[in-house]
Amino acid sequence: MSQDFRIDKIGLINRDKKISFKFNGKNYFGYEGDTLASALIANGVHLVGRSFKYHRPRGFFGAGVDEPYAIVQLYKNNETEPNVRATEQELFEGLEAKSVNCWPNVNFDIGAINNFLNKFFPAGFYYKTFMWPKSFWYKVYEPFIRKAAGFGVASIKHDKERYEHKYEYCDLLITGSGPSGLASAYAAAKNGARVILAEDKPRFGGSLLTSEVNIGNQSGKEWAENIVAELKEMPNVIVKNRSQVFGYYDHNMLVMSERLSDHLPKSKKYSPRQRLWYIRAKEVVISSGSIERPLVFGNNDTPGVVLSSAAKEYLKVYGVLVGRNPLIFTNNDSGYETAIEFKKNGIWPVILDTRSNPNSEVIDEAKRMGINIKFSYVVVAAKGYKKVKSAEIAKISEDKKDLGQIENINCDCICVSGFWTPTIHLASQSGNKTKFDKEIDAFVPGQSKQEETTVGSANGIFTLEETLKTSFETGQELSKKITKNDNKVSIPTVVEKKLTKHDKFWCVPLPEGKKYKRFLDFQNDVVVTDVELALREGYRSIEHVKRYTTLGMATDQGKTSNLNGLQLVSNVENKVVPAVGHTTFRPPYTPVTIGAIVGREIGKHSKPTRKSPIHLWHEKNNAVFVDAGVWLRPRYYKQRDEGLFEASKREAENVRKNVGVCDVTTLGKIDIKGPDVAEFLNRVYTNAWLKLPVGKARYGVMLREDGIVMDDGTTTRISENHYHMTTTTAQAANVLSHLEYYLQIVWPELNVNVVSTTEQWAGAAIAGPKSRNVLQKLFPDTDVSNEGLPFMGYLEGNLFGVYARIFRISFSGELAYEVNVQSDNGNFMWEKIIEIGKEFSIQPYGTEALSTLRIEMGHVAGSELDGRTIPYDNGLQGLVSKKKDFIGKRSLNRSAFTAEDRQKVVGVVPLDKKTSIPEGSHLVKEAKSKLPNPKLGHVSASCWSVEYNNPFSLAILRDGKNMIGEKLFALSPLKNKTIPVEIVSSHYVDPKGERVRS
Amino acid sequence: MQKYSVFSLIKNAFKGHKDWEVAWKDPTPKAEYDVIIIGGGGHGLATAYYLAKEHNITNVAIVEKGWIGGGNVGRNTTIIRSNYMHDENALFSELGMNLWRNMSQELNFNVMFSPRGIINLAHSDAQMNVYSRRGNSMRLNGIDAVLLGREEVKKLIPMADFSENVRFPIFGALMQPSAGTARHDGVAWGYARQADSMGVDIIQHCEVTGFDVANGKIKGIKTSKGNIKAKKVGLCVAGSTSVLAEMLNMTLPVETHLLQACVSEPIKPLLDRVVTFGAGHFYCSQSDKGEMVMGGDLDGYNSYAQRGNLPTLQHVLTEGIAMFPFLSKLKMLRTWGGIMDMSMDGSPIIDKTHIEGLYLNCGWCYGGFKATPASGWTFAHTIAQDRVHELNAGYSLNRFSTGHLIDEKGLGTKTWIS
Amino acid sequence: MLHIKCPHCGLRSQNEFAYGGDATVKRPELNKEVSDKEWDTFVYLRKSPRGKHLEFWHHISGCRQWFKVERDTVTHEIFKTLKPNEDN
Repeated sequence: MSQDFRIDKIGLINRDKKISFKFNGKNYFGYEGDTLASALIANGVHLVGRSFKYHRPRGFFGAGVDEPYAIVQLYKNNETEPNVRATEQELFEGLEAKSVNCWPNVNFDIGAINNFLNKFFPAGFYYKTFMWPKSFWYKVYEPFIRKAAGFGVASIKHDKERYEHKYEYCDLLITGSGPSGLASAYAAAKNGARVILAEDKPRFGGSLLTSEVNIGNQSGKEWAENIVAELKEMPNVIVKNRSQVFGYYDHNMLVMSERLSDHLPKSKKYSPRQRLWYIRAKEVVISSGSIERPLVFGNNDTPGVVLSSAAKEYLKVYGVLVGRNPLIFTNNDSGYETAIEFKKNGIWPVILDTRSNPNSEVIDEAKRMGINIKFSYVVVAAKGYKKVKSAEIAKISEDKKDLGQIENINCDCICVSGFWTPTIHLASQSGNKTKFDKEIDAFVPGQSKQEETTVGSANGIFTLEETLKTSFETGQELSKKITKNDNKVSIPTVVEKKLTKHDKFWCVPLPEGKKYKRFLDFQNDVVVTDVELALREGYRSIEHVKRYTTLGMATDQGKTSNLNGLQLVSNVENKVVPAVGHTTFRPPYTPVTIGAIVGREIGKHSKPTRKSPIHLWHEKNNAVFVDAGVWLRPRYYKQRDEGLFEASKREAENVRKNVGVCDVTTLGKIDIKGPDVAEFLNRVYTNAWLKLPVGKARYGVMLREDGIVMDDGTTTRISENHYHMTTTTAQAANVLSHLEYYLQIVWPELNVNVVSTTEQWAGAAIAGPKSRNVLQKLFPDTDVSNEGLPFMGYLEGNLFGVYARIFRISFSGELAYEVNVQSDNGNFMWEKIIEIGKEFSIQPYGTEALSTLRIEMGHVAGSELDGRTIPYDNGLQGLVSKKKDFIGKRSLNRSAFTAEDRQKVVGVVPLDKKTSIPEGSHLVKEAKSKLPNPKLGHVSASCWSVEYNNPFSLAILRDGKNMIGEKLFALSPLKNKTIPVEIVSSHYVDPKGERVRS
Repeated sequence: MQKYSVFSLIKNAFKGHKDWEVAWKDPTPKAEYDVIIIGGGGHGLATAYYLAKEHNITNVAIVEKGWIGGGNVGRNTTIIRSNYMHDENALFSELGMNLWRNMSQELNFNVMFSPRGIINLAHSDAQMNVYSRRGNSMRLNGIDAVLLGREEVKKLIPMADFSENVRFPIFGALMQPSAGTARHDGVAWGYARQADSMGVDIIQHCEVTGFDVANGKIKGIKTSKGNIKAKKVGLCVAGSTSVLAEMLNMTLPVETHLLQACVSEPIKPLLDRVVTFGAGHFYCSQSDKGEMVMGGDLDGYNSYAQRGNLPTLQHVLTEGIAMFPFLSKLKMLRTWGGIMDMSMDGSPIIDKTHIEGLYLNCGWCYGGFKATPASGWTFAHTIAQDRVHELNAGYSLNRFSTGHLIDEKGLGTKTWIS
Repeated sequence: MLHIKCPHCGLRSQNEFAYGGDATVKRPELNKEVSDKEWDTFVYLRKSPRGKHLEFWHHISGCRQWFKVERDTVTHEIFKTLKPNEDN
């Protein structure tokens, strides 16, 4: 197939390498270095999609990041990606893409009927209708609208690509490699600064790739190539292409996304698809250039209407003609540059200039070349449906209000230039209060908020000479501030054509009796009358206009539409543009792949997984694990075909009857040292700590200042000034921060040090009537009798050559011990316990059996200490000292906390002694009351009591202390259960606590 | 007032849409009002509407520093639900649900209430139990709730991560089928248009600079457009409450924090529920325009900046991909930040104050948008009757002294932790 | 991302730190009689200024020291950081 719109001997593509690709099922070819857009245009394809609302045919408008139309569905490696901009997608072998938002196809799109009904769909029409009948919005209208909206189709397959993060520091980050960026980078790098130069496009050079200028006796393009080559060789410079700095955050942190594989058929081995760079820069030079503004006229969305700068770029970079019969419509000299390029390649353009009599070097050159120029002329409307076929043009009066006789002119494309809009997004994101520059009718950066300097056309400077001069100086001065060096590079001489002033005119009036649509936002189909309607209806703030009409809210984020929208509002409202103000720029500058933002923390690695040193043993012994925060703990050890219920019952029974062992490594452990520890603990815990002897442990409860229980655990006095605190698994980190806060800020006079030792110790709880037998054999040299190691006692021991700490503490309510050894010896300890315990029928038990044991003993845990309960609620009032002060004590006398009918933990047994009560059930007086049914309390934890062989639950019940013996109902409407229950003491087993002391 | 309908739309289409009236006027402030509402956000506009509609008080002004709907009502993730555990929150929100269901018709403005259901994913049996407590509580309060098993969840949202390569597998979920979303801007505009039509003055670009209080009574306010007298003044300025409180020498149990949200590029319909992640803090729905709307944690330090930082979004989106792996390939299109009142127990305050005639509506934390109608309705009642309604009695200012806290999350006063 | 100067470790990125809230809140002394109002003020009431804010941060993934930061709540600019016992 021939490429009718490709011309010879021009462009930066590699004509030696043909690349085949597919668009809408049809095969085409392009060259290495093409974008999908340039290759399609070369093949004469101008129809790429349909618009959002009216389904009007859409082609290409720009040649890069500002493209509002050319959004395609990409297919690659059995995957598909929605919403890819064809103007940015580089061509690779085998690329496949399809049009979106059209059915059955882009040529014949049923949705285009909207275009004929468009008068019924003005801005915000959906707020005014679809209200009747009531249920139809959700059931009928919304699904219909949803189906019509959206662009591409997302694949729900898991992403197989890899994304990486990189953190980098530099002296100067330079965002864009046009003339201003290159000059700043070069000056700074030569002055010894660490520089990162980021270029969004594959090629460096920005406007130098397409402009006819001369710098230091080289063409602009050669100069750029030489500077980049030199920068790449410098050790203090990082040069990155395909890298977009998209966000400017606090404290000069910028974020850049680097695309490493999107231009390749598939990612290279060991290379990620994209890399996200977090860059902390001492200074930022914003050299992001400017984007050409559209001129607004009738049917200005017709395929073939393109930005004049894009037409020039397609020609000079890709050797592609956007048309063979171009009409150039301009209000400034830029259009002439495009026209001259056409003419040089044998194409005769016609220029319509809105100005009446402009004079400049570039205009003179166009005249010399014999180009047909019509001054004071405008395009009234483009003609043609799927491609421009001709244009209605007319002379326009000096005041730009009246059109002359409409004439028809044949053309196959219209290249528009409405002057330039500086790309101030990054400056604005940094907090810069931008200001309106009347000379260029656009906003430019004002006072910097952070360390940021904007150069070149992004700063509203449109001559190369001044751009280079100021950019070299900026690079020099900023680097000098940091490096203190003063190496200056000489500023090269510049040859460029002088340009003259642009015309402020941008929107062509409608001719009498015509209702052409004049588009402001091309992707979201926002036309001039939409904005006028919004204003008429009182949506007058620019934010209201934006939200009511959706102007600037498309995937191009209004890069080509925002300023024209502002100008229109200012015209209608009769205000100057700065009084209208622009909407806020926020990151990202261009859409960023979510995978790149997240990086490697996906799948199993989305959060850390913490395992005890005994984990492998658990695995080998058929443990079924449960997530306890980020820890994995054995929930039960499966034997044969046991389920959770059978296994945990067996394990719990074995603890009550013989002995069991449980891995308690995950408990938080804090080592506390210093002469004032006792005083400190006395302030942290609700109970008294001043008299705890060495070699003794004590249970304690700590509160937040608001009186709510924060955590509980035991603390042991290891030696005179050395204590060992345990916390719950969940609260370990919070408790440490809490202790540090009080020690460092509130009571710095206390001489106490705390450090987390959770990871340093492995722990095993040995529980059951035969636990002492196991202990005796584990520590034959140590007296672990009831006298030698009484309840809440502590000893150090030698476990077959390994140092161990032995605590006689119990969570299960049985005679029990907890042995700690250094983590590395954890597995050794565990295997020894299992080996020695064999003759006493030891079995490991998991968290489920642990729960059963604690529940039937009435020991409160996380489900009762849920951040809403006070000690009284948990039956812990006996641990609250009346004599001394402690954290949170003052809060306990609030009236709700001391109310007569305050909630309290109780036991709950089903009357039939058979039906388990689902956790989360609520206790009520009447099962069949009308709703809302008053709730007296809720079931916090349930188990099958192995002691009594019937279900037992704990509940937090209003007036719990007076409810023992009451008959209530436990209701779980979610599970459709109504269970008559009796309230009993929460201490269901061994209420006197004799076993732990036996 | 013009009625909006398909017929009026067609009629106007043939007149080139030239005859549409303004949705609300742009009046200059009068010298005195019966009630001034400070804050032209969702809650302020709703309060004014219900003052006029339910209490026949129409000599009302709404005073707004910027443009109406520019605060949190215009920068949220549009989720509407009443899936609360505590009775105070549940019954209040259920009033809201009833108002939401009829809002488009009542306001004659399509707010696009879409009861698509909210699914709270659970990732352990323990979490299923916590959700059971909440769900059972909802059911006993007459609110719809169902508990879903893993397979049932899979049928509703097959794009969630049901693979082996998952850190926190989905065990099941609590679902409130009647919960949903609405068009946030439409809510503000709908209330504004109706309030305006009943005589309420909506005064934009009018910043409050001070208060006129004498003998413990409110007399009026000072603004950038001059002093305005008022018999009663209601504060409805979530995010800026502390700033106005300072002018009144009040210190409140509220801190201002920043909450970010973001949307992806629009894609064809894929997700037709609201889903929240259980092993973290992430919520997601798909807008009618096709964008995936996503949010999560606060930025985590006091802030009045409507601009956030990337690490928070990175964290939020990490949980997003953990829940919906397909999000990885989508592109983040737009981010924004809202500033919110974080109260010390996570629940709001709607109450009288120690100053006669001054009423307080603040502390909405993450949940302001869904509360818009119920907040306006009860606040209007509180102002009009000079006493709280039973549905907002729990949202008293003195609950922090009495201990009658309403702490859904059990996190206490560290408001920035979620 | 904020760049915070830990008084002990120097400038580090925000992700090493945990926020600790209003640093002007002062805990009433232990064992001292305080009125309900004083206590409630300590536990619940916050000035939450728009502008300069003195707040605690904790170098949780670093030296684990608590310290004070004076920061602008609108611009996020950090003016200074102080050890807990320093006033300026």
